[in-house]
Amino acid sequence: MNLPLLEIKNLSISFGNDIEEHFAVSGISFSIEKGETLGVVGESGSGKSLTSLATIGLLPKSAKIKSGSILFQQGESSIDVLKQNENQLRKLRGNEIAMIFQEPMTSLNPVITCGEQVAEAIRLHMGYNKTKAKEEAIKWFNEVQLPRAEQLFDAYPHQISGGQKQRVMIAMAMCCEPKLLIADEPTTALDVTVQKHILQLIKSLQKKHNMGVVFITHDLGVVAEIADKVIVMQAGTIVEQNTTRNIFKYPAHPYTKGLLACRPPLDYRLKRLPIVQDFLTAQNKEISTVFNEIKISNEERTSQLKELYHKPKLIEVRNLKTYFPIQKGLLKKTVDHVKAVDDISFDVYEGETLGLVGESGCGKTTLGRSVLQLIRPTSGEVIYKNTNLRDLTSKELRPFRKDLQIIFQDPYSSLNPRMRVGDAIVEPMSVHNVYGNQKVRKEKVIDLMETVGLKAEQFNRYPHEFSGGQRQRICIARALALSPKFIICDESVSALDVSVQAQVLNLLNDLKQQFNFTYIFISHDLSVVKYMSDRIVVMNQGKVEEIGISEDVYDAPQKEYTKKLIAAIPKGEEIYG
Amino acid sequence: MLSFIIRRLSYGFLVLLGVLTVVFFIFNILPGDPARMMLGQRADQEAIDEINRELGLDKNLFAQYMLYLNDLSPISYHSKNAQDASYYSESKYGGYLFLELENSGIALKSPYLRKSYQTKKNVSSILFESLPETAVLAVAAILIASFFGIFLGLLSALQKDTWIDRLLLFIATSGMALPSFFVGIIFAWVFGFLLSDYTGLSMTGSLYEVDDLGRGEYINWANLVLPALTLGIRPLAVVIQLSRNSLLEVLSKDYIRTAKAKGLSSSKLIFKHAMQNALNPVITAISGMFASLMAGAVFVEIIFSWKGIGWEIVNALEKYDLPIVMGSVLIIAVIFVCINIIVDILYGVLDPRVRI
Repeated sequence: MNLPLLEIKNLSISFGNDIEEHFAVSGISFSIEKGETLGVVGESGSGKSLTSLATIGLLPKSAKIKSGSILFQQGESSIDVLKQNENQLRKLRGNEIAMIFQEPMTSLNPVITCGEQVAEAIRLHMGYNKTKAKEEAIKWFNEVQLPRAEQLFDAYPHQISGGQKQRVMIAMAMCCEPKLLIADEPTTALDVTVQKHILQLIKSLQKKHNMGVVFITHDLGVVAEIADKVIVMQAGTIVEQNTTRNIFKYPAHPYTKGLLACRPPLDYRLKRLPIVQDFLTAQNKEISTVFNEIKISNEERTSQLKELYHKPKLIEVRNLKTYFPIQKGLLKKTVDHVKAVDDISFDVYEGETLGLVGESGCGKTTLGRSVLQLIRPTSGEVIYKNTNLRDLTSKELRPFRKDLQIIFQDPYSSLNPRMRVGDAIVEPMSVHNVYGNQKVRKEKVIDLMETVGLKAEQFNRYPHEFSGGQRQRICIARALALSPKFIICDESVSALDVSVQAQVLNLLNDLKQQFNFTYIFISHDLSVVKYMSDRIVVMNQGKVEEIGISEDVYDAPQKEYTKKLIAAIPKGEEIYG
Repeated sequence: MLSFIIRRLSYGFLVLLGVLTVVFFIFNILPGDPARMMLGQRADQEAIDEINRELGLDKNLFAQYMLYLNDLSPISYHSKNAQDASYYSESKYGGYLFLELENSGIALKSPYLRKSYQTKKNVSSILFESLPETAVLAVAAILIASFFGIFLGLLSALQKDTWIDRLLLFIATSGMALPSFFVGIIFAWVFGFLLSDYTGLSMTGSLYEVDDLGRGEYINWANLVLPALTLGIRPLAVVIQLSRNSLLEVLSKDYIRTAKAKGLSSSKLIFKHAMQNALNPVITAISGMFASLMAGAVFVEIIFSWKGIGWEIVNALEKYDLPIVMGSVLIIAVIFVCINIIVDILYGVLDPRVRI
């Protein structure tokens, strides 16, 4: 009988002590064959990363294995990874089972060259000498399609881009030709365009070397591109397990349906995004029925747009330029400029959502901040209420700040960890001295917290007590505290799971209806931008590539760059749907 | 890199200029009459005037300041009038006049720190004698602190939450809490007096000692042990804690997990992947402490009669010997600036991200 490459039987992992035990993984079983790619899908906290860490014996000390076995095929028989001692595990790690981690930015050692980090593993497991190991490492650099492999060998991680770092990570994992590769959210931190290339790379390497691959992600769309089989995990258990085709065609579990449906669709417009809970509460609801209930017809859309663009302009941006000087030499002479925003003009109409899309480094964040004068632009005009904001001093700007707010990308670092969340929302009110006294403000804040889906009793909690999605709600409430007219959402959902992303996007749209906001919605993900926006601005290298009604931009892109962005969106639904 | 060093050196020069300006004005505004101090209470007015003229003390404060700068500058302007304070004589300034004008000249010389009011010796030669003593003491102390500190910090981090870790943390905390004059006296008493038969150490003593039999000066390394230990205790405590915490933080980083997933042994993991990252804050601390040890070993030097720069400053302050005080402060500032530049370069060696 042929043994599977990896077989996990009845694995349970728990945290905590005997009195208060919390099961992060409870009794899961699955297997993977040689040359097969298994997608493991679930939200953060579903236990998928713990399972993979257990496979190479790297569980955090606080986690305890409660039951089960992890059988890894070794020739004719299997060994149980959980029963290996540290020495035996070390021979397994990197050599037989390799792993790629989520955050390429922090997963490479900053003080060791990229080449050495790969060569080190080769010397260790293959027993090569220094020169041979270097040759081998450069060979792998070429294999993962890193440019200028020889030079990159001596480069330090901070000198290369995020996508390149992830390629170095892949080279490091692949260099000893492991039988099993575990990729834990390898593309989550990357741009959509880079993600596409990394997925293709992993796929081709897997075919070439006939490896087993465990691919972990929160995004079903990504899984469609790469996996043969999918398991869907929720709260430490496997809720569904099937071939990728069947998962997409005939999802059985409501949770799977929810995950499938909560990705913003590309072909039609919805009033709101379905969320996982919709499916969990209403049993046996089909995705298509849900979609049909909330679809916006073309006629509705046309009249919506017509009404929208009859309204006055709220903000006019004219020839905006933001340059950062590059200084060199003894006297720090400015030798050149980084043209982050290079001559950009557009209007924002009242009640509109203007999408701003482009890869990282294209200048979209700088543009957003320049509009709000958080970064002072080099030249150009930002006209709001017949005033050019660029002409105002910081003090004169202050009354305008009330109307213009921003929600940042990372809900983890944009909240002060030592400040109660209620106080964080009160703060802008006190700064601008609105709502009279502290008591009225507090009532107002509780109101706001309820509006964004938090509870009044959470007023006195600290940020670490909240999940990522809840934190983003707090940030939204804080932006709403001054009842602004205009909000910039800068990658506000990029750090969130797809399922949580849907909830936050719905919230943003509900708030827009309720308070009649105008948004600039910035993201690198065209599918999200298309779903949210009335018009889209496509940005590349500080300039506008293309600007138009979102359906037009998506259906008939005018520029190569836009086509490239559209092609990079994972399209699970189209492959299998 | 070169442009970075040049820029740092010019910043350093500005810092020194600031220091010497502040020092000059503070000490010259203070009440006190150097001439009278040099000559004693019964000196006649004529002699006092003579001294004041020679030192330029009869001039206004700004002129005195310019004179001081001129004395310090390696390239300086000198009058040929023997009555002027800036009159050049080789015995006073050293160096040589390389450009002679009608009644003035430009000289090339090493900075002239003036003469002690008390002993009439050149301040530079006094500092030249005491500086090495302090340097030896500070280097010994900082070596003890770095070597044992990093080693014990590493041990503490690896044995986290065991009794070894707790014991080391307790020692480190007490080391930080104990003032050096207290530790110094205790050390001197216990090891230099009570146990001196076993240790062979004496309570006080300098690096250079004069032989009782008149065979001249010799170096007594044994005298270094107690003061260096005393001086090293606080830096040692700081280094233990800092390297422990820094290493623990680094060990929880993602790239350590990556290295583990590669199958590396724990010694490779710690010495190759973790240490280099963990040492950066430790180096900052050590360099800062080293610089202040050079300057502030006063208590320890007094307790052990170690004739270093701190001992010299205290003595000079007592006697209102301004040139020595100003000279010492200036030398200490120079040391600070140099150490900081060296540390900045060292960062680059350890961490490629700050390489220029």
